[in-house]
Amino acid sequence: MKNCVRALRAERGWSQATLADELGVSRQSVNAIETGKYDPSLPLAFAIARLFNQTIEEVFDDTQPPNQSQNKP
Amino acid sequence: MTRQTFKSAKRRYLRLLWPLMTLYVIIILAGSYTLSQFDAEPRWLQISLALASAAPVIATLFAMLRYANETDEYTRLVQLKAFAWGGAFTISAVFLVGFFQIFDVIASFEVFWLGPIFFLAYGLATMTLNRNVCE
Repeated sequence: MKNCVRALRAERGWSQATLADELGVSRQSVNAIETGKYDPSLPLAFAIARLFNQTIEEVFDDTQPPNQSQNKP
Repeated sequence: MTRQTFKSAKRRYLRLLWPLMTLYVIIILAGSYTLSQFDAEPRWLQISLALASAAPVIATLFAMLRYANETDEYTRLVQLKAFAWGGAFTISAVFLVGFFQIFDVIASFEVFWLGPIFFLAYGLATMTLNRNVCE
């Protein structure tokens, strides 16, 4: 699933480590989400959207066809 | 979801891992030295040292599983996949060595080495899975 987490993070001048700390996850998790290699669970997706004052639909684009390589670290 | 899930889980894991590994080394060294002091090692001492040596390693395995349970969702996925890879590799080695023994290709194999094989496979799998994300 495509997302704009990297852009939202860059707007705020945050590093991946800063965002990871805010969310309580590892930096690798943030990297995996940003690169589309991992789709977060619903609670984490809500946490990300809430952190950036956006809706889930604004952050994550579910109109893209499923990618076979997703959630396969 | 609680904040600092990943960091606190990792802190708890490391707080357990290092003392356990230190204890393991101490028991191995002290055990070897103690046994060397006897001409004929007492059975009770051999059994005690074997149990004491295995205990920290077994506790480490459960600490790894607790870490996987407490950490963030992505790290949990990586950890459990690495654990599964380690398990699959070790079971494969068991069958391979077992059949080599059944068909008299090799005489004997120290079962102990299956432990390090698991940890090696688990470590390599963790590194590979994390590297795939960081590329």
